[in-house]
Amino acid sequence: MKRETAPRLTLKLGHLYPDQLNLYGDRGNILTLRRRCQQRGIELRVVSLGIGDALAPDEYDILFIGGGQDREQEPVARDLYEVKGIGLWAAIEDDMPVLAVCGGYQLLAHYYRPAQGRDMRGLGVFDAWTIHKGGMRAPRCVGDIAISWNGGTLVGFENHGGRTYLGTARPLGKVLQGYGNNAEDHTEGAVYRNTYGTYMHGSLLPKNPHFADHLITLALRRTHGIQAEISQGESETHDAEPLPALSPLDDRLEWEAHATLLERMGLHSAASAALQTT
Amino acid sequence: MKKQRSLEEKPLADSSAAHRRGWRARRNAPGKRSREKAVSGSAGKTRRRGISPGASIAVLAGRMVGALSRRLGFGGGTSIAGLAAQRVYPNIVKHLASELEYGSVMVTGTNGKTTTSGFIAAALRESGLRVWRNREGSNLMGGIANALVMRAMPHGHLRRKGRAIAVFEVDEAVIRKAAQAISPRVLVFTNLFRDQLDRYGEVDSVAARWQQTINMLSPNSILVLNADDPATANLGRTFEGQVLYFGIDDPALDLDAAARHQVIDTRTCPQCGHNYEYTLRFYSHLGHYFCPSCGNIRPQPDVRATRIHADDFDRMRISVTTGDMEIKTREIVLPLPGLYNVYNALAAMTAAQALDIGWEPTIIGLEQFKPAFGRGERVQIEGRTLRLLLAKNPTGFNEVLRTLFSEGASRHVLCILNDHSADGRDVSWIWDVDAEQAVGHINTLVLAGTRSLDLALRFKYAGMAQDKMVIVPPMPLRALKRQMLRPNRNISRRKNKHAADAAASAVGYLPAEESSQHGIAAALDAAIGMTPVGETLFVIPTYTGLLEIHRELERRGLTPHYWEGQDR
Repeated sequence: MKRETAPRLTLKLGHLYPDQLNLYGDRGNILTLRRRCQQRGIELRVVSLGIGDALAPDEYDILFIGGGQDREQEPVARDLYEVKGIGLWAAIEDDMPVLAVCGGYQLLAHYYRPAQGRDMRGLGVFDAWTIHKGGMRAPRCVGDIAISWNGGTLVGFENHGGRTYLGTARPLGKVLQGYGNNAEDHTEGAVYRNTYGTYMHGSLLPKNPHFADHLITLALRRTHGIQAEISQGESETHDAEPLPALSPLDDRLEWEAHATLLERMGLHSAASAALQTT
Repeated sequence: MKKQRSLEEKPLADSSAAHRRGWRARRNAPGKRSREKAVSGSAGKTRRRGISPGASIAVLAGRMVGALSRRLGFGGGTSIAGLAAQRVYPNIVKHLASELEYGSVMVTGTNGKTTTSGFIAAALRESGLRVWRNREGSNLMGGIANALVMRAMPHGHLRRKGRAIAVFEVDEAVIRKAAQAISPRVLVFTNLFRDQLDRYGEVDSVAARWQQTINMLSPNSILVLNADDPATANLGRTFEGQVLYFGIDDPALDLDAAARHQVIDTRTCPQCGHNYEYTLRFYSHLGHYFCPSCGNIRPQPDVRATRIHADDFDRMRISVTTGDMEIKTREIVLPLPGLYNVYNALAAMTAAQALDIGWEPTIIGLEQFKPAFGRGERVQIEGRTLRLLLAKNPTGFNEVLRTLFSEGASRHVLCILNDHSADGRDVSWIWDVDAEQAVGHINTLVLAGTRSLDLALRFKYAGMAQDKMVIVPPMPLRALKRQMLRPNRNISRRKNKHAADAAASAVGYLPAEESSQHGIAAALDAAIGMTPVGETLFVIPTYTGLLEIHRELERRGLTPHYWEGQDR
């Protein structure tokens, strides 16, 4: 198990449609992943995948898709289906970690039905569909949101007109405060294998360092076969040579920001719990 | 020609009142023309009109509510009188605005509304007109109505309306309503960027709303558009009336390759959907663009800045060129920093051209301009200079940072990030800000506001050392306090202190210091304390942050009440 000279680890992140889907500060997610990798001696290379670019499933270790404007989502939807579809499916079935936020999340479900106009076909990775009812009956879901995830919490901001309904897809978490997928069933996001879809931006990862590390861990495990554990005990056993994987970082600022948001939503015990994670 | 026609159509009124007051300047041509008309013509007839009952009641109701609100101390009362008047008589705005002798100018767009309308007002004042404005920030219909109602008399007509012109800054979301009620002589669109996505929606939907505004606009109005912003320049294509463009023609300002990754808010040509390409890019999507597919290209500006040189932090020397046949170049020194203010000045100069204001008063007005509330305003405090630079969206923030750090100078900075509804509840835009350009140049940094921690994270992930930042949130974190106190419930008071310290150091805070470090006053004190005497502290707030800092300065007796501000 011991590696002699730890080779400089590299992860390659494919950023899908950075020019079209960049509405909600999605750069924050990339910056967070890059920096958290960098601090552990991992180099995160970011490759932009625009419209027309092919996606070879074995070339990347992690993928990110953001959200965009309706007008720009259409050519993206077409490209995702026609050009990248097969590669993306293969990658997802091969357990590649994928984070899809907002518009990207909608495009990974079966379809998006806008208030006016034709349905936009999605990739169908998540057994879910999105309907934009439009009008006064269904106002946009806008505001801070907190969900439970993996024994902890995730916090973010949501702003979406479409309502997503899950079929057999597993939700990412349960809504503690906010709207979530559809403001009806208290679910938020969807998970399929290592693919995560969510409405939470804000950006999502900076204030949720555990989720960022989770994605990095999945990528490392899949690509380099490293069983990264984020527990303190683990890193102490590797005395001379620290685990090149996820050593804990100084995340006090992150957790304080996380807890502040929880507290503003009235989730006081969750806020205390979040602070104790540091 | 159009311009003159619309001038003459305006009711000429109250010229004797205007005579009594004496005009500041009599040199400008259009003024003279109309004055002659007024003397020879119909002035007497229109001077005293009968009571307009609906308007009269509305004005009375509005002013009463306004007075009451101010007496009771509810905020600035900057739109409540207008709202009340509109409730009583929905046509009040249309009715009162039609009485303005020189009509009105409207300024809208994402960034630069306040400064541009300030510049226009300065030029118009300099030319001898009486300029009325709505108060900064009260740029919804209520604020516009308020500006008019507060100047109306109980019989439902405006007072002192002779030689009066109104300059309204109008929120980009209500421009259609406003332009419908008041058919403006000149309508200025400054630019379109992403801003408060939770409120305005996406950039495209704002652009669509603007297009509807243009579609119903009278062809007697003159459009003033930013040639460098494809989203606003496109508005001119379908308009039947006169369109004037402004833009920058200085190739030295091209963005360097490093900054080219900036977020672009208008990417594709609306006619064919192809991506724009740029020969020059100044910031965000502003520049010399063209569509390689359908040939849609940046229009040639009527007023253009051919050379821009920063003499000093806030002295910009601009060469402005006009005319196709007879090219004329004039130099103007702008008392404000930043490329965005060059655009604001160009917009104002173009609007002044549209109104037939001479160059001389325009230049004097601009050069003597006093920055508006928070737009480069300067305050002296405890031997330091405070500069307030509002930054409410990513492009605005980026331009402020670029202005501050382009010369490699190191600066003292206080950033305030709030997420109240006037700022936009969603703060994810800070991740589109190039905080990286500030790292390494920031001498001291204090972060405040309801989202100070988000901002701290932004700077942290930009590479700023955590211990270089001082974070002053508006209130303490309850969970943090509880966490510090919980372990020692059963321990005596003396031991309690130790336990609290231990808990605090585990989370990295010293409780003694922590308890006093909250709120805007503490943030300001901290920032001032870290700025050496004689140096400048730059305050970069969002909109409500600016209000807070103003209130705090006011409390310390350093600035006038903002709603009693300039004459307006």
